[in-house]
Amino acid sequence: MKRLYQRLLEFAPLFMFMVVLAFFGAQSSRFLEPRNLVNILVQASSTGIVAVGMTFVLLTAGVDLSVGAIMFVAAAVAGKMALAGLSLPFSLLAMLVVGWLVSAFNALFIARLRVPAFIVTLATLFIGRGLGLWITETRAMNLPDSFLQFGSARFLSVPVPAWLFGMAVVLAHLVLTHTSFGRQIFAVGHDAEMARKAGIRTEMVMAKVYLISGTCAAVAALVTLGQLGAVSPKFGEQKEFAAIAAAVLGGTSLFGGRGNVLPGTLLGAVLIQTIENGLVMTNANPYLYPMITSVVIFVAVFFESLRNRVSRPFSA
Amino acid sequence: MTIRKPVAAQRARPFTQWLVGLISSEYLVFGLTLLLVALLAPFTPGLVSIANLLNIAGYLLPLFIVAIGVTLVMITGGIDLSVTSVIALTSVVGAKLISADGSATPTVVGLVAMLALGAGLGAVNGGIITCLRLPAFIVTLASMMFLSGFAVWITQSKNIYNLPASFLALGKQLSIALGLTITLALCVQVVLQRTVYGRWLYAVGQNPTAAYISGVPVRAVTFAAYVVSGFCAALASVMLSARLETGSPVLGREILLDIIGATVVGGTSLFGGKGKIAWTFFGVLFLTVLDNALNLLNLSQFAITIAKGTVILLAAVLDATRHRLGRQNA
Repeated sequence: MKRLYQRLLEFAPLFMFMVVLAFFGAQSSRFLEPRNLVNILVQASSTGIVAVGMTFVLLTAGVDLSVGAIMFVAAAVAGKMALAGLSLPFSLLAMLVVGWLVSAFNALFIARLRVPAFIVTLATLFIGRGLGLWITETRAMNLPDSFLQFGSARFLSVPVPAWLFGMAVVLAHLVLTHTSFGRQIFAVGHDAEMARKAGIRTEMVMAKVYLISGTCAAVAALVTLGQLGAVSPKFGEQKEFAAIAAAVLGGTSLFGGRGNVLPGTLLGAVLIQTIENGLVMTNANPYLYPMITSVVIFVAVFFESLRNRVSRPFSA
Repeated sequence: MTIRKPVAAQRARPFTQWLVGLISSEYLVFGLTLLLVALLAPFTPGLVSIANLLNIAGYLLPLFIVAIGVTLVMITGGIDLSVTSVIALTSVVGAKLISADGSATPTVVGLVAMLALGAGLGAVNGGIITCLRLPAFIVTLASMMFLSGFAVWITQSKNIYNLPASFLALGKQLSIALGLTITLALCVQVVLQRTVYGRWLYAVGQNPTAAYISGVPVRAVTFAAYVVSGFCAALASVMLSARLETGSPVLGREILLDIIGATVVGGTSLFGGKGKIAWTFFGVLFLTVLDNALNLLNLSQFAITIAKGTVILLAAVLDATRHRLGRQNA
C-alpha cells in the first residue's frame, strides 16, 4: 500500500497534466485538435527553454533571477543590430554573446567569490534591465519582418520554436543523465562540500550551470522575438518566476540535487501553457488566469512535497 | 575568544586591521549613506533641503515598514515574495470599503479590516509553509501571483478613488507615518533583542533541527514571522494608498526587489539566523537616498536601475567577505 502510494505520487505531475487535458477537452472540441496542441507547444517554448536552463541551476541548489533581464538585453541588442541593417545571423550571434557575458558575470561572483546566487542574480536583474532600457531608450522597438518569419517558419511541418524547445530538452536530458558533468551537477546539488572532497571541481560545475542558463535565456529571447516581432520595456519581465514555477512544477527541488528535464521541466512548462490555452479556448474570464495558474502550481508543489516528506522534516 | 586575539588580527598591519574592522562594522552601510550624501550634496542642488528630506521620508517609511516584516521572515531563513501583492490587495479591499463610491463604511473599520486582512494573508502563507512544510520561496511566489490576480480581478483593473478625507489625512501628515514607523520599529527591535520569541526566531534561522530538539516551537515561531510580515505589508499599504489617494490593484508592484535588496544590503542574511531592524533601516535608507540623489542629478531611469543593482552586488560581496573574515577569526 505504501509503495503504491509512493508510485502514484511519482506520477502526480503527469496525472495532473492528463486531468487538465481531459477537462478542457470535454469543454471545448477544438482544444484537443492537433493544431491546438502544436500551438500550445509553440506558446510554451520560450518559457520552457528558460526553464530548462533554470533546471540546471536549481539542481545545484542555486537560482537564476536574471534570466528575464538577460532576455531583455539580448533582444534589445539584437533589435538594434537588425534595425541598423545587419543580417539575422549577426543578431543571433550577438544575442548568444550577451547571454554568455551576463551569465559569466553571474558565474564569476557566485562560483569564484562565493556570493549567494539569489543576490548576485537579483543585482544582475537590476543591471540588465537598466542596460536594456538604455539600449532601447525606454521605447518599444519594432523589428524587421525577418524575425517574425523566423518565428513562424516550419521545419518538417513543425514550427521552429517547438524544434528549439525540443532540442533544448533532449540535449539537457542527455547531458544530465549520460555525462559525467551531469552526475557532477547532482553531486554538487546534494552536498557541495562532499562533492568537493570527492574531487569534483565544484567551482567549474557552478560556473557552467549559470552559463547554460544564460545561453537558454538568449535562445528564449530569440523565440519570443520571433513571436512578438517587437521589444518593449516589459520584455522578459517576470520570466524568472515563470521559469522557476515550470521547473518546480516538473518536480525539480529548490534545495538542489533532485529533478529532471525530461519529463519534468517539459511537462511543467507545457502544463502551465495548457491551462492558459484551455482557459482562452473555453472563454474563461481572463482575470482568472493568474489565479488558476498559481493554484495549480501550489497543488503540484504540494504533491511533490508529499514524496520526500520524511527526508526534510523542518524546512521553513 | 576574548583572551586570545585572532591570529589574523595579530599579524595584520594597523591599516589592514582598520580595514577589517571597518568592513565588519554594522554601521558600514550607514557610513556609506553619509558618505554618499557628503559627496553628492555639493553637486546636487536641493539634496539636503527640508522639502527633499520630507520627500525621501515619504518614500522611505512604507518601504521600511514592509522591510521590517521581511527581515523577520528572513531571520527564520524563509522569504516572503507576496508582500507587494498583499499591499495591492489590502489597498483595493480597504478602498472599496471606505470609498464614497463603495460601501462608505467608517474609516476606522476600513483600517482595521486592511490590517486584519494583511495579517490573515500572512497567516495563510505561514500556515501553508509550516503545516504543509512547503518551501517558502514557492509558496509565497504562488500567493504573490494569486493575490495580485485577485486584486486585479475584484477591481477589474480599475483604481478606486473618492476616499474619505479622514483616510487621506494619514498620507498628508508625515508625523503620523513617522510616529507609526518608529513605534513599530522599536517594538520589533525590542522583541528581537529582549524576548524569548526573539531568541527563538534566531535559533530557528540558524538551525531549525537543533532548535526543535532544544524545545523551540519551530512552527509557531515561523508562523508568527509570516503573520507580522503580512501585517507590516498592510500597514505600508495604508500609508501608500493614503498618499496616492487611491486604492490601486498594482500598488507596490515595482518595490518587491527594492524591499528584498534593501534588507540584504543592510546585512540580513538570506540563509537565516542573522538580521537586525537597525540594519534593515540602514539598507532602506541607503537605497532610497541613492535613488533620490541620482534622480535629482537628472540621471535617467536606466542609470538609477544599474546603480541600484551595482550597490546590491557590492553589498553582497562585502557580506561574503565579512562572512569569511568572521570564519577566520572564529
